[in-house]
Amino acid sequence: MWRPTSVDRPTGVFIGLIVVSLVLITVDLRASGAGIGGTLREGVQDVFTPVQRVVSAGTRPVAEFLEDLSDIFSLRGENRRLRDEVIELDRRLVEAENLQTRVAELEAILGVEAPAELDSIVAQVLAVGVSEFDHSRVIDRGRSAGITVDMPVIDEGGLVGRVISVTDDVSRVRLITDPSVRVAVRIERTGETGVLTGRGSAPMVLEMFNTDAAVVEGDTLISADGRFPAGIPVARVLEPARSEVGFSLRTTAEPTAQVTRIDFVRVLVFTRDEAGIQDLEDLERPPIIIPADEAPAEGESEEGLPTETTVPTGEGEGEGVTGTSVGEGGGG
Amino acid sequence: MNTALKYRRAAVVVVSVILAAALQTTLFLRFRPFDAAPALVMLVVIALARHLPAEFALFTGFSAGLLEDLLSQSALGLWALTLTTVAYIVVRIRDRLEEDFSLLAPFVFGLTVGGITLFAVLGTIFGEKTLADAGFVRKILVPAVYNVALTGLVLPLFTWALGVRDKLNPYQA
Repeated sequence: MWRPTSVDRPTGVFIGLIVVSLVLITVDLRASGAGIGGTLREGVQDVFTPVQRVVSAGTRPVAEFLEDLSDIFSLRGENRRLRDEVIELDRRLVEAENLQTRVAELEAILGVEAPAELDSIVAQVLAVGVSEFDHSRVIDRGRSAGITVDMPVIDEGGLVGRVISVTDDVSRVRLITDPSVRVAVRIERTGETGVLTGRGSAPMVLEMFNTDAAVVEGDTLISADGRFPAGIPVARVLEPARSEVGFSLRTTAEPTAQVTRIDFVRVLVFTRDEAGIQDLEDLERPPIIIPADEAPAEGESEEGLPTETTVPTGEGEGEGVTGTSVGEGGGG
Repeated sequence: MNTALKYRRAAVVVVSVILAAALQTTLFLRFRPFDAAPALVMLVVIALARHLPAEFALFTGFSAGLLEDLLSQSALGLWALTLTTVAYIVVRIRDRLEEDFSLLAPFVFGLTVGGITLFAVLGTIFGEKTLADAGFVRKILVPAVYNVALTGLVLPLFTWALGVRDKLNPYQA
């Protein structure tokens, strides 16, 4: 028969610590990362930032040397690829300049003002997540530099992620490759929209809304999501996809940003239109307009026109694509 | 155990855990062969738990895990639970390891794989989507291989730092 005395002291301490851990997990999950957990995280990150800065300064030359060493073998192939890319980019530059001139002329004719450029804050990546499953980066600018939660982060290639927490000196950015992140995108070539889902280190998954629209390898996907400025390059399609049975169109895409090797990033001073997104999220589906009975009734107008009844649908169907904004599921 | 040795061990534990967490998050920022890095904090917990008194080893695992939780976005307590379990297994098996050093490398490999798998499974149970990461098998196995590669350096270093005398220790005369 089991008796308390049959448990030795280390096992007792172990069981106690496991119980404390489970309580902490429950409390933190119930608070959704806010509350005492959020306060503790901010405090520890504040204390730990100077340590990370010192260690980073000390280890950066070593890390860069090791990185260069591992790159030596791929240099020849990369050189050839870059030469081809330069030729292609030269051609695109000429095209872009021509288009820019035409757009400016058309804007002048139509009296349309050119969109203002967003302000941005340049930051350097200070640290990575503590585990392989932590798809976040710590950047060396925080609240004191004007960064707030939800601001989009980009590099020279495109969208990197979104700020999820801020302290005075540093911010944490969740990468778009995080499995809990979904981004609404538009194919630059066709204008068709879809949703891009992170899968960690594997290529992202693209699901298209219009299953009849073909997706071609190399198609650039740009942001069409209320949380980010429209038109930021997000990913490039890896495989062509054509709907086989008309129900779904899925393919894979890789981020245009150097997500795994980012060094410097730009935080865009952009806050999403909260009211607009909230309206869309509440609505879930557009209302269906049902005409009332054609027979004259009490609700019939004086002119004899039938009245209309609005019926909202789709209550509580969980998270979904709503308008132009797509949520992030799970904790991460 | 004399007081000086106690203080020395406490200092080694605190400094090594903080340094391991700092290295884990900064050194492997860009240098990530096969897109993975060693699980340094876990390796340090294994190295410390080999020599510390049982309860002290368990608290070290718990504290190191809590630090990892606070430096990440995972639910507070996930890493604490994982590293406490790792420390407990080390405490239970360490006597057998001292008898046969050839078991150390496979032990570190198995424990790292087990620890990261436990974290991934618990994360998924608590809604973290860790197993939704398509490369999760590689993310479990590659850090374990790196940890084995570092075993020959890290474990004797901690044996020396904690003031313990054993056959594996090349730093002692």
